[in-house]
Order: sequence, then C-alpha cells, then structure tokens
Amino acid sequence: MSSKEELLQRLSDGVVEMEEDDVAEAAQEYLDAGYPAFDGIMEGLVDGMNRASQLYEEEEYFVTDVLLCSDAMYAGLDILRPYLPEVSNDDKVTGVIGVVEGDTHDIGKNLVKIMLETAGFNMIDLGRDVPLAKFVETAKEENADFVCLSTLMTTTMGGMETVIHLLEEAGIRDRVKVMIGGGPISQKYADKIGADGYSQNAVEAVKLAKKLLDIA
Amino acid sequence: MAEMKDFQCTYDNSAGISGEVTEGLKLTFPDAYLHHETMAALSKALKAHDKAAFCELPFCHTVEAEAMGGIVNYGNEVAGPRAKEYICTTPEELLELPEIDLSAGRIHEVLLACKELREEGEHVVLQVSGPFTILNVLIDAKYVFKAMRKKPELMKEVFWKLGNEILKFMEEAKRYGVELISYADSSGGLNILGPKMAEQVVEDFTYEFLKKAEALTDDKTMILLCPKTTFALFGTGKARFRDHKLSGAMAYGEGCIEMIGKVKFAGQMCIKNVGYQLENGVFKEVVLE
Repeated sequence: MSSKEELLQRLSDGVVEMEEDDVAEAAQEYLDAGYPAFDGIMEGLVDGMNRASQLYEEEEYFVTDVLLCSDAMYAGLDILRPYLPEVSNDDKVTGVIGVVEGDTHDIGKNLVKIMLETAGFNMIDLGRDVPLAKFVETAKEENADFVCLSTLMTTTMGGMETVIHLLEEAGIRDRVKVMIGGGPISQKYADKIGADGYSQNAVEAVKLAKKLLDIA
Repeated sequence: MAEMKDFQCTYDNSAGISGEVTEGLKLTFPDAYLHHETMAALSKALKAHDKAAFCELPFCHTVEAEAMGGIVNYGNEVAGPRAKEYICTTPEELLELPEIDLSAGRIHEVLLACKELREEGEHVVLQVSGPFTILNVLIDAKYVFKAMRKKPELMKEVFWKLGNEILKFMEEAKRYGVELISYADSSGGLNILGPKMAEQVVEDFTYEFLKKAEALTDDKTMILLCPKTTFALFGTGKARFRDHKLSGAMAYGEGCIEMIGKVKFAGQMCIKNVGYQLENGVFKEVVLE
C-alpha cells in the first residue's frame, strides 16, 4: 500500500500532468487508506494546481493546459469533497464571477474562477452571457466581497460599466470591489469605467483580488 | 522557425450597434438579424456610423454553427446573436452534424443581403468564422482542448469537416457578389492555445485550408485575414508579407478595396479597426509559402 506522502504526490502530479483518471484513482486509494480528505485536497490537488499555475506564470503552460489540469483537480475533488468535515462558507471571502451579457466566451472566466477557488476564495460562478442586474442581485444576496467581470468582445465591454453603476444604485458599491478582464480590456479601460482593478491573466487576478481585499 | 506573436484585439475597434445607428431605421430586434432586407439596411447604417469604406455582414459569429444545428440566442438591439446552450460534448458528435444548407435559413439570408448590397454598389466584407469560433457555439471549449490532446487525429477530422463547410460558404459568397471575405478565428488565438497547440492547428489545418481558400481568390475576390491568423502563419514559417504601393495614404479598408484583384490575402490589421490608416501608402499582402 502507498504511504500518505506517495498518494499526495500522485494527486499533485496527476493534476500537473492533466491525467484525470489517475487523479480519480489516487483519490479513491487515498480515501480507502483512511487518510483525511482535507489534506488530500490541500496538499495533493491544490498543490498540483498551484504548480500548474506556476508553470502558467512561467509560460510553460497555457490556458488550455491549465483548464485540463483543473479538470483533473475537479475529478479528485468530486471524490474527496464528500468526506470533508462540514464547514460553512461564512468565513471565506466571496466573489461573484461571470461573462457579461451578450458574450459567450468563457474560457478566461473559467480559468480565473479556478485560480481564485484554488487560492481559497468562495466563488459563485454565474456562467456566461449573464444579465447585468444578476451580478448585483447575487452580490447582494451572497454578501459578496468582490465581483469579477469578463468579456472578450468589444461590443459587450460597456456592460461592465453598467454593472458598476448598478452596484452604485443598489448602494453596495463601497463594499464590493470590481475586477475586470478579457481580451480587449486594459488598465486604461478599468480606470475609465471606475473599476477597482484589471488583471491580464488568471494568476494576476488572484494577486489583484488579494491586494484589493487586503489578504496576505 | 520564428517565434509566434499574438495580435491584441483593442477596444478602439468598431463599437458594435448603438442606439443612434438604429434610430430612424424602423427595425425591430432581434427580427432585424433574421431577414436579408433588414440585415442590408442595418449593415449600411453601421457603415455610415463607423465611416467605413465597406459594409460588413453578418453581425455575429453564429450563422455557420446555427446552420449545422447550433442553438442561438438572437439577442436584442444592443447584444447581437450568440450561442445559447451547447449541443455536443464529443468530437464524434461533431462529426455527425449535418452539412450546411446554404440555400436556407439565416446563412442564406446573409448571402442575399450581400447580393442586395452589392447591387446597390456597396463593397461588402463577409465575415467568415474559423473552426474554433464555430465550435464555440456547438461545444464547450474544454472538450475541444481535451480532444486535441487525447484524440488529435479525430480533432483534425473535425477541423476539416468545418473547414470544408467554410470553403463552400466562401465559394457561394462569391456567387452572391462578395469581393472581400474576412476569415477570423480569434477563439483559437495564441493567447488561448499557447504556442504548441497554435502551431499544431496551423500544421493540421489553417495552412492547408488557406491554400484551398487561395484558389477562390481572383480578379474580383480577396481574403482578409485576422492578424492573429497572419501572425500564426508567420510564426510557423508559412507566410510572409509582400509590399504594394497604394495610390496614396488611406484607411486600411480603402486599401483593401484598392487591392482587390491585385492581391490574394490581406492581414496586417483587424478589419474592424476601421480608423486604421496606412499613412505611408503601403499595403502588405500576406503571401503563403
């Protein structure tokens, strides 16, 4: 039988190597051996995802690679998560994320969500082509700390500014940080529409969220 | 081999459809996106608003996918037609999709609108989508990337199935008078695929596809490449620029019109960047190796 360390290594390596079947198998063996699910997630799966994100930052891995790594991570999470002790999300910093209305390109958004989840944020994913008011409603309902808006299209960029105005109208702009990103977006545009920050990629998005929310 | 570069889409490009464009046209949305008469009227209004040298059609990147069975949300005045839910989860399912019937549906209306505009003396840019953009309507991209890694031969078949449909569409467009066919596949850009996969796509598909498309160019038809495609070709050593002297400094779109019949491929700038000026009066043809 493999030791806990060996299994954690297999979980981590499986994520980096995008082998979701191996990860699922290792996760099951890990549980069967009676090791705690929490360590399997943090020291195995999340460790692998952090390594993948490091490779992404070093331009060894690209968007497609990281998405496949995350598929492997989620395959392991599906097995380990039911064995986690009940924890509420109350203590976690919550973000709402989605692609603004009119746009269906969601690769970048998915990547940012994965990275933020890996970094410990509680992310509520509204998906793609999201009605603008939905961001505000959800931020209110979930008492969110930040909202992430993404678009790849020049024609839908204006929706981001509308969300900011809607947050103001709802009286929650001062307690909800707004981060934006996507192909045609820039820091200049973020400044223009009054967003709190722009990030060029998913790794930067995590750094930005931590900076905006004063998280070490 | 040269390093592959990426072209950054900017928000200085054409701003899409705004209320001031549609004012006075008596159009209702999304109905206006569905019929050739209204498509032509809207296209002309956008041309006037953008002060462009040409009319563009269609207003979205969903017509090809819809003609293959994709489900489309037609949208409204502000946000045009886009993908609704996906209909496939595997490359095998993609290979089973029907061929495009160019004589029916919205894709036929687009062709009719092109013809109408041409008959009115307009220059028309028909925006044709590449495989990643079409797939974006049909299947979640994660299945595409996974299949490219695990089943590359099967994905090559998928690319070519779509490629052959695109070629048929381009050929038919010529019969409807289209002189400028733009080809873009920004959903499969370097920033998304990474250099290795981007190179694989050029080797497996794009280069051969454009060789076939080249055969459609003639004294009345040229193809405008998205700069992302141009750079992917350059980065893999499959193309180079050749300079042509224009009659003077002019907008890129005007330069393209002047070069119809003289060059096969353009691709130095995004055609949506309507304000882009060729100040030195030099037009760069993309020459396939």
